[in-house]
Amino acid sequence: MNVLASIGAASLLTALATAVFATGASIAGHRISSAALTTAGRRGIVVVAVFTTLATATLATALLRDDFSLAYVASVSSSDMLVHMKWAAIYSSQAGSMLFWTWTMSLFLATFTLITVPRIPWGAAHATAVAGAVLTAFLVALVFLASPFEVSEFARADGVGLNPLLVDKGMLVHPPLLLMGLTSTAVPFVLGMAALLSGRVDSAWLRATRHWALLAWLVLSVGNILGGWWAYTVLGWGGYWGWDPVENSALLPLLPLTAFLHSAMVQERRGMLKPWNLGLVLAAFSLAVFGTFNVRSGLVASVHSFSQSDVGQYFLVLVALTVGVSIVLLAWRAPRMRPEHDFDSLLSRETTLILNNYVLTAIALIVLGGTLFPVFSELIRGVRITVGPPFYNDVVGPLLIVLVALIGLGTVTPWRRASQETMSRRLRAPLAVTVVVTAALAVAGMRDPFAVLGVGAAVFTLYATLREFALGTRGAQRARAAGGVGSWLAALSGLFDRDRRRYGGYLVHIGVAVMAIAIVGSNIYQTHVRAIVAPGESFELGRYSVVYAGLTQTPGTANGVESETVAILDVRRGERSVAALAPGRRIFGNFPQQPLAIVAVDSGWREDVYVFVQGWDENGVAEFQAFINPLMLWLWLGAAVYTVGGLIAFAPVGATVAVRRELPDGAAQA
Amino acid sequence: MSERASQSMSRSKRSKLRRLVPIVVAATVIALALLIAIDVGGAGPSPARAQDFEAQAQQIESQLLCPQCTNKRLDICELAICVDMRELIRERLAAGDAPDDIILFFSNRYGERVLADLPKSGFNLVLFGWVGGSLLLVAALGTAALLRLRRTAAPAAVAALDAEGERWLDEQTADDTSDDTSDGSA
Repeated sequence: MNVLASIGAASLLTALATAVFATGASIAGHRISSAALTTAGRRGIVVVAVFTTLATATLATALLRDDFSLAYVASVSSSDMLVHMKWAAIYSSQAGSMLFWTWTMSLFLATFTLITVPRIPWGAAHATAVAGAVLTAFLVALVFLASPFEVSEFARADGVGLNPLLVDKGMLVHPPLLLMGLTSTAVPFVLGMAALLSGRVDSAWLRATRHWALLAWLVLSVGNILGGWWAYTVLGWGGYWGWDPVENSALLPLLPLTAFLHSAMVQERRGMLKPWNLGLVLAAFSLAVFGTFNVRSGLVASVHSFSQSDVGQYFLVLVALTVGVSIVLLAWRAPRMRPEHDFDSLLSRETTLILNNYVLTAIALIVLGGTLFPVFSELIRGVRITVGPPFYNDVVGPLLIVLVALIGLGTVTPWRRASQETMSRRLRAPLAVTVVVTAALAVAGMRDPFAVLGVGAAVFTLYATLREFALGTRGAQRARAAGGVGSWLAALSGLFDRDRRRYGGYLVHIGVAVMAIAIVGSNIYQTHVRAIVAPGESFELGRYSVVYAGLTQTPGTANGVESETVAILDVRRGERSVAALAPGRRIFGNFPQQPLAIVAVDSGWREDVYVFVQGWDENGVAEFQAFINPLMLWLWLGAAVYTVGGLIAFAPVGATVAVRRELPDGAAQA
Repeated sequence: MSERASQSMSRSKRSKLRRLVPIVVAATVIALALLIAIDVGGAGPSPARAQDFEAQAQQIESQLLCPQCTNKRLDICELAICVDMRELIRERLAAGDAPDDIILFFSNRYGERVLADLPKSGFNLVLFGWVGGSLLLVAALGTAALLRLRRTAAPAAVAALDAEGERWLDEQTADDTSDDTSDGSA
């Protein structure tokens, strides 16, 4: 008997039984008003998390101990793999990633049960019941359809090792964050379902959801950004975003989440959009489940897909169930969700936020259609087609430009109503700056309409948002100067203390605008050169000349790498050497037919020099694909600002609480 | 009297001019930074370069995908089949074939899936219809919803918020005043 396999399988089975119990106890406790039962249900969710943690720890132990009697371990690991890659092997394939999914989801739901559920007496039992049901659904798949604890029929001396594409440090951050981003959407979903089931469809659920939705949005955003960074710097897919069906699946839940973070403000302040907001959190989780179905079914051809299995059909049913139940419940409770206020004016912040939701919804529908269309084409016509980047760039590109411009417009538009005079006063400066900048760029030669509109929208938003910081800082500085402290830096940080969500959100917007400019630069103004050169020769790449010295080969040391061959390149500008690059290829012993490209990148403020080797002959004559990607560094810097902004918005409101405490009690209550 | 009036006028002109200064400075700084960063004049296919044989070959490559990998561009794929395809593109170009014919040749040989740009014809029009339909649906339902929101609003029960929620809302609306009254002009 294999002890680890038994512990793992027993843990999962116990977790499943406990999840079923948690659901049952919560429902029964609510029906017969038994506090003991509902408490038991709540504890059940925590116990599920304990057992899935035990199962994950068991799989990790099996991987670390090279227990190749477990079929999963033998398929994704090998004895020469480094410890950190063994950790990555946990979520590198079907069954393991399902375990990782269920484990992280149970951790989120357990934390939610411990922190948030006690604060929502109106829907505690409903939330626990739904959480238990969601966990049950995934544990059923894990126990009956794709268990990582199945024992091999024959003993193996060594494992196959990790797929070459996955042998990289990027594997340690991108997949887990993305999976966690997807699983964390379960919490807003559970809260939304609790609101619908309990009938408390006012703003109570929304207040409880805000932080969780922000967390899911942040983790999912970072997961997607890291995916882009990994694809660009490591995998050599020639870019950071390829609109691959599985990339799309990871992006899809982010769209309703982003929409929700904005439309939630409208409900908080004006009591409007109640069914819409509920719909958005339900859609986010439905799309997350759709994403996992997409990866696991083998239905959609993608570089990310796992092998085809029965799990796919199961998840298709799960997606249909999630969507169906969501729609029925929303329709059932719709009559209770009347708006509390009149919509004062179409010229208001509310309108810009609603328009932002419309654009995000349109993007989501189009991306969903584009992702599924190849499947329909094959089913109906029997012809495999590819919906690739040109389609998305043409269709989604303009919508993204509108979205970026809407950020700026929303920033300058006041809540409730704005007079035309106010609007023209507030728009004057950002529009003037935008016109001057785009005109100057057009005169200098930037004539591509996408580039002009994209950069224009980004500059408009950037200026409008930075001005909010400037105005806020100046106001705070004046107020502080009256009290004796007038440093602008203190005033600026004071802004974040005063309203983290607002100014954190502004930072995110600045990040988006900077990323938009970088996307325009790197996509539209990319230079691409293909060169076949012999050792000692050089080729021209824009304003650089690249000297090729020859190839060097080194034997591999770990992770299944047999050998590494790199080309030694000297990138020169005039007489000066600006970078030494070593693109090449890594050959894996167990996967000789699947060499991995080693991409060489030299990043600069202005542009990246990006080279990979396509192949070489016995004389060392090599074929290079070389690119100049303008502004790439700014994409990652924009992403960093976006993330910091998200973190600030998410950070606990300690400072705000401190301000509240300073106020006399009466003032706070007034 | 008139002297005073002209003085105040020139003062208001000066203050207007002074307000323009930061805008002009900001515009200049951003424009210069972007001009330096994006080498708009130097990059991109110029007409002279488009005639260049290699550029034309790359242009064709960029419209094709690897027939074996999923969603991998032909120009960056290192599989043998893609190396052959790239060579064939250059051979056919040298033989005088038109780029569209070369793309058609590969599409016939490997199927439509090697086309990076989805042909806007036949069954594929369904997808473009979906795009148009999505946009129309969102626009139509969106406009209807906005108009409805203006009409059917009804005041909610007062008990909707608890004490903490009310406090929180007060705090948020307190920000509104600073937001609304802040002068937009820089």
